[in-house]
Order: sequence, then C-alpha cells, then structure tokens
Amino acid sequence: MSDRERDVAKPRDAGREIPPIAISDRSTLVNPTGSWKYIEPRYEDRVAPCNAGCPVGIDIEGYMYLIGLGKVEEAAELLLRENPMPAITGRVCHHPCEDACNRASLDEPVAIHAVERRLGDMALAAPAPPPAEKSRSERVAVIGSGPAGLACAYHLARLGYATTVYEAAPEAGGMLRLGIPEYRLPRVILDRQIARIEAAGVEIRTGVRVGRDVPWSELDGFDVVFVAPGAHVGKDSRIGDAEEVDAIRPGLEFLKQVNAGGRPDVGDHVVVIGGGNTAMDCARSALRLGACVTVVYRRTPVEMPAIPQDVKEAKEEGVDFIFLAAPTVARSENGRFLGLECQRMELGEPDDSGRRRPVPVDEGRFTVIADTVLTAIGEDCDLTFLPPDVQTEWGLIQVSELGESISAPLFAGGDVVDQPRSVADALGSGKRAAVGIDRFLRERAGEASDALDVTGLRFAGDGNISAARYVHDDPIQRESPVNEVVTWEQMNPHHFRHAPRHEDRYLSVEEIRSAFAEVNFGLSEKEALEEADRCLNCGVCNRCELCLIFCPDMAITRRDDGSGFDVDLRYCKGCGLCAAECPRGAIVMTREDL
Amino acid sequence: MKKVMIGNHAVSWGALRSRVEVISAYPITPQTQIVEALSEMVAGGTLDASFIKVESEHSAMAACIGASVTGARTFTATSAQGLALMHELLHWASGGRLPIVMADINRAMAPGWTIWTDQTDSLSQRDTGWIQFYCETNQEVFDTTIQSFKLAERLDLPAMLVLDAFYLSHTSEPVDVTEPEVVDEFLPKRESRFRIDTSDPRAFGALVKPDAYMEMRWQLQEAMRSVPGTLREIEDEWEKLTGRRYGAIEEYRSEDAELLLVTSSTITSTARHVVDERRERGEAIGLVKMKMFRPFPTEDIRRALAGAERVAVLDRNFSPGHGGIFAEEIRSALYDVPPEDRPTLFGYVVGLGGRDVTPDVIDGIIDRTRKAEQPERADLWVGVEL
Repeated sequence: MSDRERDVAKPRDAGREIPPIAISDRSTLVNPTGSWKYIEPRYEDRVAPCNAGCPVGIDIEGYMYLIGLGKVEEAAELLLRENPMPAITGRVCHHPCEDACNRASLDEPVAIHAVERRLGDMALAAPAPPPAEKSRSERVAVIGSGPAGLACAYHLARLGYATTVYEAAPEAGGMLRLGIPEYRLPRVILDRQIARIEAAGVEIRTGVRVGRDVPWSELDGFDVVFVAPGAHVGKDSRIGDAEEVDAIRPGLEFLKQVNAGGRPDVGDHVVVIGGGNTAMDCARSALRLGACVTVVYRRTPVEMPAIPQDVKEAKEEGVDFIFLAAPTVARSENGRFLGLECQRMELGEPDDSGRRRPVPVDEGRFTVIADTVLTAIGEDCDLTFLPPDVQTEWGLIQVSELGESISAPLFAGGDVVDQPRSVADALGSGKRAAVGIDRFLRERAGEASDALDVTGLRFAGDGNISAARYVHDDPIQRESPVNEVVTWEQMNPHHFRHAPRHEDRYLSVEEIRSAFAEVNFGLSEKEALEEADRCLNCGVCNRCELCLIFCPDMAITRRDDGSGFDVDLRYCKGCGLCAAECPRGAIVMTREDL
Repeated sequence: MKKVMIGNHAVSWGALRSRVEVISAYPITPQTQIVEALSEMVAGGTLDASFIKVESEHSAMAACIGASVTGARTFTATSAQGLALMHELLHWASGGRLPIVMADINRAMAPGWTIWTDQTDSLSQRDTGWIQFYCETNQEVFDTTIQSFKLAERLDLPAMLVLDAFYLSHTSEPVDVTEPEVVDEFLPKRESRFRIDTSDPRAFGALVKPDAYMEMRWQLQEAMRSVPGTLREIEDEWEKLTGRRYGAIEEYRSEDAELLLVTSSTITSTARHVVDERRERGEAIGLVKMKMFRPFPTEDIRRALAGAERVAVLDRNFSPGHGGIFAEEIRSALYDVPPEDRPTLFGYVVGLGGRDVTPDVIDGIIDRTRKAEQPERADLWVGVEL
C-alpha cells in the first residue's frame, strides 16, 4: 500500500479515538444557537376576561392563582382588597364574570360565585385583620350604608381615611337588608360582613337621616361627602283606584316589611307585575307566605332584567309566569277586589333601551284573579333630602368616571348615578369614588400624583378599577403585564382537561315553600377548591412549566424565587414552541431589537 | 411453567421476563395484542415499566430512542405501515447504537389495504442497521425476545423479531415460560456505554463531518459482523438454562439432499411436514430454515447449501423489479462457492398478502424444481392466475 493509498483509506487524525456514535466531547454550551433567531419569546401576562367582566373590579384570576398554589388565605386577602363583602356577592351577585369566562369554550364556565362565596365565608370565620392605619388627616362622610356607601367607606379606610357612614334605617345594609330576602342572603351573613367593614376602620351611624335627623351643616366638618342613598321609591303602576289601594301595593314596600320580619296577609292569590329582581323577590317571598303567585310581564322571558338564575329558581319553586301581558285596570265587585284585567301584548320595534317595545294585541283581554297585587316595575331615588344646591338630573346625580359630581366636594354612587342597578355595580361605583376622593384630596393638598391614568387602573381598560393597581401593587406579581383581555383564540386549549362544573346545592322545593331559610347552600370547601382548580388562569403564567418542558434548546430556566422563568437568549433559537404551547397565551413572540 | 398462548402474547411474556423498563407503541393490527397485554401488566403492577402512549409510530420510535439513551431497556411493536412510518427513526436507533428491541408482525403493505401477512414490510427495512430474526413458533418467539435483548445490549445494536400475521401472531401454542429467576440470571440489568448524564451534558446525534462518519459506520458494520459469534455464545448459555436453541439458520434433514428448500417463518413448519413425507418416500429432499436475515448469515448459508444440486427458496415477499428478497441474497452469497459445488437456485415468490402456502403448494414447488432444467426466470411466481 502506498502512502497515498494509506492517506485516502485512513482518517486524517490517525490514532485519535472516534466513538461509535455521534456524541459531543463536551457540553453544547459552546454552540450559541441563539444566533440563529430573528424572533424571540417574551412573557407577557394579560387580563383574564372574568376580571374585566366584574363590575366590582375583583382580581378573580389572581385569587384563583393563589388557591392553585395552596395559598387560600392569601387568596381571600386578595379578594378582600377589591371587594369588601365577598360572602354577600358570592350569594347574590349576578356574576357576569361567569358569562365572560373563557372556560365556556372548553366545557362550562368556572363557578366563580361559589368560590368567592366560600372564600368570603372562610374569611368571616377567621379573626378580623387589624384596621389600616389612619394615615390621612381628611375625613369623609358617606350617606347610605348600602353596597356603594360601604364600599366607598371601606376602600377609603384602607387608604388611611377616617370615614363615617350615615344610615337612615335602624340597621346598616341599605337594599341588602331592606330589599334582598333572607332566603337569598341570611341576615347573619349580612351582619357579620358589615361588622367586618366596621372592623376595617369604618364608623357607621344608623337611624340618622341626614337632612332630617341631623342637618347638613353637621357634615361641614368632613372634607368630602359621598352620597349613595339607593332607590327606594317604587314606581307608580297607575292602575287601580282608591278602593283597591290596600290590595295593590308597591312590591318594594312589601319586601321591606317581610325582610324586617313582617308576615303580612296577602291572601291566596298574588299577582306580581314586572320582570326584574324586585319582582322575583316579591314573587318568591309571597310564595313563602303561602300564596299562589303569578308574575305578569309585558315582554318575553328573553327581555326579563332579573338574574336568570333567580327566574329559574322562582319557576322551580312554583311561581307561574304570564308573559306578553300588561295590566290595564283593577276589577272589583261590590267594593271587593277581584283581580286585574290584562291586555295581551306583542313585541314591536325596539325602544331606546334596545329592547323591543310591547304593543297591545287587538281583542286580547283577559282577567287574572288576585287578592294582592305587588307592583315591581322599577324604583326611583328619593332626593328630597339633598341640599338645594346639589344638582340633579332625571332623579339622578351626574358624576364623573370617578364619582365626582359638579357639586364637589360631593361624590355619588350606587343607584343614584346612571349605571346598572346591581350590588356589584354599586360596589364598583363605591370603589371608583374612593379612588376619586383620594385623588381629589391629594390634589387639594398639593401632593404630587404618580397614579396611573384611570384606564390603566381598570382591568383591560374598560373593566372596573383595581384597588391593588391603584397602590401600585400586584399581589401575584404578573410579568410585563399588558392591559388587554386574553381571548380564547389566543390560548392553546390542547393541554386542558375537561372537568364538569360543580353546581350549587339547593334546599328541596318541599322545604322552601314555608320558610325563609337560605335556599342555596353553595359548595363545600373541598368542592370550591376543586372548582377553583378548573380556572385556566387565562393570560397569566401560573408556572405550569410547559414552556420549560417544550423548549428544545433548554433555554428556559426557572427562577430560584419561583417568580417565573427566564429565557437564555444566547441559546433560544426563536422557534416559538413555548409561545405556541403556552396554554394561557402568556408568551408572545417578538421581533428581536424591535 | 407452560402456558397456552398466542404468538403476540409470547412476545409480551418475553418482554415481561426481560423486565423492560420503557414501552412506547401505537396500536396497529395485527400487533396490538402485544402492547395491550403489556399495558395491562404495567397497569396491574406485574411489570415495573413506563408505558408511553403516543400519536404515531414515528413518535413511538422517537420515544423509545429517548428512553434508550437514558439507559433504559426499551421495547416496542408494530406492523406494516407503522413500521414504514418509523423508517427514519430506525436509522437513528441503529446509528445511535441503541439496543431497542422491536417486534414486527409481518403484514403486507397497502395498497390494496390488507392486514394479512407477508414479509415486505420488515425486508423494506433491510438497510436500517437492525438485526432481524424471523420466528417459526411461539416458543421461539418467547425465547428470541429475551435473547434479542441480551444480543442487542452486548453489541449496542437494535433488534427486530418478526412474526407472521395471524399464522403465528394469533395462533395458540403451548409455551414454556421460563421462570423469572432463570431469565434474570441470563439477562441482568442493562449497562450502557453511553447515556444521558445531566452532570456531564453531551449532545447526541449531532453533526459529524466527513472525517469521522465513515469510522462510525465501520464500527456499526463490525458490530454486525460480531452478531453470529455472539449469538452462538448467547444460545449456548440459553440452551444450558432451558435446553432450547435455534441457530441463525437451521438445517432439517438436509444430509445428502439433492434438493434443499429454503424457508423462513411459519412456512418452515409446513415445509418440515412435506420434507418428512418426501423422505419417507425415499426422496433426497431437505430443508434450511433461515431465522436470521440481518446480519446475513453468509457463511452458514454457503456451508448449508454448497453441494446440493438444486435449491428452492420460498419468498413470502418480493422487491418489485427484482425478485424474492431471500433468494436474491442467497444467490449473492453463493457466488463465491466454487462452480462444481454451487447449486442451481430457484427463487419462488409465494403467499403474498396472506395467501395460504399449503403442503400442496410446496409439493408443487418441489415437483416443478425437479422437472425443470433451469429456472425460467429469476423470480418464479406461484399460484398467480390472470
């Protein structure tokens, strides 16, 4: 064999040991694969749709995340930062958060209300946290101890203000106590929740109607007044005449009587006029007094403003419904009230509210017998207590986004301002006003404000304000948060398992008809925690580590303190697998150096 | 312990006795019963292994490769289109020198869509660097599964054991299931030369430049060349423990035969029967069973066939445009036999797509071979009616 042949036949480094397989002789860290990329991943947490859909502005996703980590107490604490009364809203809120829940696209929405209720009850069972330090010299008066007033006072107390709530009724709670029946909200829960708000540093003075029991001048010592009197005057149905006045009565008045412990004789047949929450509460309360109840509503079930769940429960309990009918005149014989003559209706063109206006059908008249008629066609605010210089419009007080009226330092919220009339919306307006009042007072004191603009304080820009955001705090330390809702399409559903929603447990229909006991038992602690486990943590990294598992370059590392992950851009080659796999849409691919 | 079981379950029991640590597979008829039984053994706690469910055979083999690189004893099973889908990864397994053992239940390739047996699926993987054994009985299947792990792990080569669909996979026979302590003595825990070690991170399967690739292939070839000798040692040991051995090839009544049949898989059992009958009639007809196809047992075949007048190879497979694959390889092996000892080779293509190869078919082949002066062509198709 010639030298030349030997050279050709043998490897050039003759004598070196070549392994049988392609294995590197050292770590591949010498190969910075990151130089290949032109796009790179970035962790960017977004806003879960429940947060954006909550009129109170609760960081629902945040507390679900903490429950997921087993930090149930911290979860309750986070909830209480945004909502002073979770044990109440967990029971009575119409939970639009669940309508927004992305999980509906997977199977069924998370039963957020039940988780909130359980957290609220757990917080009530635990010792009250100490009140916030009174760090501010200014004092705020709040008129009305309903959800708006209590929320405003509570959030102001947490911001360091001394607050005093004036309540005309003998007990605090406003419509929560006067309007909501006990079978939906047990008084023991209401009392304890209000006691907690007082323990947070809120002074409540009951049985004092400002403008009657005490003059407005007594409030001169306060720097700001927040007005939230509620809507307590039932609209006049304009049916019947003087003879029937006892038989035809405002539903709200009836509710107040029953909710205060009264058990009026309503006869065997009760007709309720209206399709809202007051109508449902009247119908179900009358049912519990032993009457047969018929609800007459002039539109169809679709247009009913009442909480659908309450309508469903009313039907299950035995309330009858007559839709597309409007009462016209009271019928009586020999001075004895017999019932209502009604007019059949059909839906015509949409009105200003966007709902189709009911119009009479020719020849469509019929009579429903009734011993008592309860009218529940809406409520107005009684504004006669206000000083004459406070401007009102259409029975409401016009306010800015943060509750400030043009008659400042007067702020307002709840049912007296132009917004949907729900407990959640009232709580939300109270929180917004608390932020507005804090800003107003700080501005007046000449303090520099570094607060975010209001859009930044709101979840996704148009949800309600977050109290945590206002004090520049994020209890779950989101990574590079972007104030946009994450849509289902931005998420990756393939890592989620189907899991049925836990449904609340109810008292049996037989048990409820004669009692005012709470109808809905909610979920057990175990069930509620399991339900929280169904939360997908939309838009927010919950440390599931799929990015770390899927990264083919092992360029993603877990931070030692558990606060998230880092991408080693020297080795990330920009493949985008992490962003594609992230179930929550919390990773985006971005152009390098752009 | 003797048990009556189908061929597929003989594989499962072989894997169980081999104490496989990782199984990853995708179901396909007629293989599914193998991994079905294994999944039950894993779920029931009889077998301490990870069972990785995947979405395709490509992923199954990828998972096996990953598992094997960690040092785990790894097993899978497939058939036909599933094996074809694994093709790329079969190279990764052998080039990575990973001793994965796989059962392939021979099923003809589609289209036309079929589930019945022929060998074209496994023979299409001839050049992927896998050892291939074609088994005849369920006992042989059980024994070969265990032996394959030992052989594969000794030489860092992947091994495929091959069974006929239905004729073996779904046919029940008594199997002497060797006791675990005996198998444990024969097949201790795997020790791997290279494995993933997080304290000493290395890249596996990375770029190799022209100055080293051939050296790696040479080492692969040398390992393949060691198979016959190593197999003999392993079979010696197994025979000592169980009394059973098979050989890379088996010569059956081949002494002084003028005509030798060459068969593989279950056709062999039928051929044994025909040879017995012919011998009783005083005809000098014998049989050579080919169990091992890769590495090709060139020396054994030359020794067994040299001196016979005629050789009839029965191929339940074919390479379109050439002929029966065993026949072509045997023809090539006989090229170096001196002309005076070199038999005339008749290559028959039979039984494709599961068509039955009966004693009558084999009798016909024997008569046809004896009558002919020379083969009419390189591939002689049996039973084709057009």
